[in-house]
Amino acid sequence: MRRLLVLALAALALDAQAVDFSKLLQAAQGSQAVNSVLGPKAAQLVTQENLQAVAQAKDAVIDISENDEIELGKGIAGNLLGAAPLLDDQGVQQYVNRVGRWVAAQSERPDLPWKFGVLDDGSYNAFAVPGGMVFVTKGLLMKMRNEAELAGVLGHEVAHVVQKHHLNAIKANARTTLMKNAADRYTNRSSNAELGKMLIASGTELLTRGLDKGDEYDADRVGVVFAARSGYDPFGLPAVLQTLQGVQSGDAGLALLFKTHPPLDSRLEALSASMAPLEKYDSQPNLEARFADKLGKR
Amino acid sequence: MKFALPLSLALLGSAAMAGETAWTVKATELKDKPYTDAGAVGTLAERSKVEVLARQASWTQVKAGNATGWVKMLNLRLDNPDARSGNTGVGALFNLARTGKSGTVATTGVRGLDEAKLASASPNGRALERMNGYAVGKEEARGFAKDGKLSAQDVARLGKGGKS
Repeated sequence: MRRLLVLALAALALDAQAVDFSKLLQAAQGSQAVNSVLGPKAAQLVTQENLQAVAQAKDAVIDISENDEIELGKGIAGNLLGAAPLLDDQGVQQYVNRVGRWVAAQSERPDLPWKFGVLDDGSYNAFAVPGGMVFVTKGLLMKMRNEAELAGVLGHEVAHVVQKHHLNAIKANARTTLMKNAADRYTNRSSNAELGKMLIASGTELLTRGLDKGDEYDADRVGVVFAARSGYDPFGLPAVLQTLQGVQSGDAGLALLFKTHPPLDSRLEALSASMAPLEKYDSQPNLEARFADKLGKR
Repeated sequence: MKFALPLSLALLGSAAMAGETAWTVKATELKDKPYTDAGAVGTLAERSKVEVLARQASWTQVKAGNATGWVKMLNLRLDNPDARSGNTGVGALFNLARTGKSGTVATTGVRGLDEAKLASASPNGRALERMNGYAVGKEEARGFAKDGKLSAQDVARLGKGGKS
């Protein structure tokens, strides 16, 4: 029992030499749809030994190397791309990558393998996964008026990655699951591959369940700083939030955004309280003309 | 360019802002120019309804009654505060396809990506590969920024601010 738990934790440990976590994630990625494997049966037969194991799991520090983080992100991104295809337009995809890569280069994690993708989906949303993959829907992109607005939205998503919001939520989830497993001697049969799948499934679920609201306010506050550092008018993000306010609240394309984020009014209020130091950058360019040109607007 | 949706994009033209309605969230000075030290044309009370005319960085030009001037954009909301029933949770309730107002909002009512689609999705490895092909390096991004006359700034992280 206890040996199994230790083995399970080893798969999540920083020491990736012991368990090839990347291979494990790749293996999990290749398998069929990773639906949630969280929430095993309720704990049974809580013995002294089980309690000890639970205590161990609770205290375990789950550390994931940067390479593991990147592999985990690929697994989650693969699922997202299975649900919404990439927009088939190389020009637009490369343009969004250039803006995003420039913004990410001004962050505290400038050297991650940043990749940006436009999803061919009419809803209004953007996503980030651990390791530096960021997505924006075509629906949201088409609501934007200039490059500074795009930089603001991408800055918010880059901030999630830099602050490791999703990664930390996935780790917290994994701890809970390991504790449950430890308490149940009959279901504690997790193989390493299953653990990898569990982390990917947990991260995928986060995309539609949402982060803590505090993480979203944090990403807004950090994202506008990244836009300002990149030389853009930093008021692009609040401009997009205002635009979304102007969309009829009955528009179904807003459903998932509303479910996973604080109300737009509250986000604007929080930005209003914190953005005063950025007002001096508001004459930086918004590159409306380049944006219109790259997106085929004349 | 060969963007897939020229029709929808056409709706986003220069008039994208025109005709939008906004409400002030606090008493706000109406300035004659979009600058803090510009002269005041008047003062708008909290919850004044205004028409949005134009936008410049952190300022929005509005028409309020017969007066026209500039207000700080973050003092405006584009949804009616009196009609607001809480933005959260609404999503789960509606499936209505609402039509956009006055042609400026290309709403389709399509729900798009949601929990059900994501839960039943199969991983798409080919799309992951395609993303590698679109990715650019730091150097290319730097050249792109230079083309746009964007210059990197040293900007500190923000605090949460004094107001609520």
